[in-house]
Amino acid sequence: MTSILKTLSALFSDSKSEINMPSAKPAEENNMPSTNQEPVSSTAEEPTAENFSEPPAQRRIIQAPVLVESLGEGQASEKVFIKAEPAENGDQCKLMVNRSLFAGYSWFFKDFESAAGSPLAEKIFSSDLVDTLLIHNSTAIVTKFGGKMQGDWLPLAKELGQIIREVLESGSPLLSDDIIKNLPPEEQVRKDIQKVIDTEVNPGVAAHGGKIVLTSVTGNSVTIQMGGGCQGCSAADLTLKQGIHSSFRKAVPYVGAIYDETDHAAGMNPYYS
Amino acid sequence: MGLAEPVHFTINGHKLPFDDFKGGTGAGETFEGEFEIRSFAHSLTLVGPESGSWKIRKIHVDYDCENTPPYSATFGEVALDETTEVNIWQDPPLPTWDV
Repeated sequence: MTSILKTLSALFSDSKSEINMPSAKPAEENNMPSTNQEPVSSTAEEPTAENFSEPPAQRRIIQAPVLVESLGEGQASEKVFIKAEPAENGDQCKLMVNRSLFAGYSWFFKDFESAAGSPLAEKIFSSDLVDTLLIHNSTAIVTKFGGKMQGDWLPLAKELGQIIREVLESGSPLLSDDIIKNLPPEEQVRKDIQKVIDTEVNPGVAAHGGKIVLTSVTGNSVTIQMGGGCQGCSAADLTLKQGIHSSFRKAVPYVGAIYDETDHAAGMNPYYS
Repeated sequence: MGLAEPVHFTINGHKLPFDDFKGGTGAGETFEGEFEIRSFAHSLTLVGPESGSWKIRKIHVDYDCENTPPYSATFGEVALDETTEVNIWQDPPLPTWDV
């Protein structure tokens, strides 16, 4: 496959004068690999252990926020506008709504019983195919029983879109008062999740050289990073969904969305490479 | 203003300068560059300066990959220095339906 990075443009802020031009010093001085280096001649010094004692400096890869314009013109529409986006592997479908469903917070409904008292969730679970439901800001993420191909989602996505639209247009509350009243402060979420990581998750993954780090908490939604042997491991998705999610939800029932921001192809020693 | 040396990116950890670049990395400037890669992209990053720091307001990337319609991604504000690089890879958009 030919992959072409067609164009990149970066707009540099003029709000501060802290921008310095890149220095012209050779890349070797910075221990950085460079494509501008002269080719090594055949008479070059033979490699020795000493030559390789200093690996290239590794930069830390950071993630900039992705500016999403996923709803396009529908975002500002007065009508309820819903887009369904099934995951590539078909294991879940994200329904994006141009209305807030649970502003600033998230809630995970593990089954029909857990939806009791929350009109939106009750109606969504009225479909026998729905397995779990996660509501976060203006999205509803659904997993289902049955076929897991992307195309298998279309009939159910249409049904769920209609349900969400009807509930929103009815003006009734979306979630139960109990959920809203009992949401803990972020600091409590951070403390409780960190405790699960320290006492249960990390001791478990450490056996495989892995490590989980809690990187941020927003409302009751958490973001983690998988490091060490977990980074790039082919079983990382399984570890995340069947191990980490289960541990978090069992010990901290009010945790909502759990995101993984690991770059599984980067780092000094990704398992993947 | 202007560039003392090319702005670099990495593909799968391999560092390269941009082709056909224009603009600059000075305050308020816009830098544009492109590159044709004949390989799978597992990771793609924009490398920070060799010294000092860049405060980037916005990064816009146009991708033209084989077997995929061209698509774009826009990343928000980020600060880079000599120890950092920023991810600029975004998977092609998934199919969506209005429901």
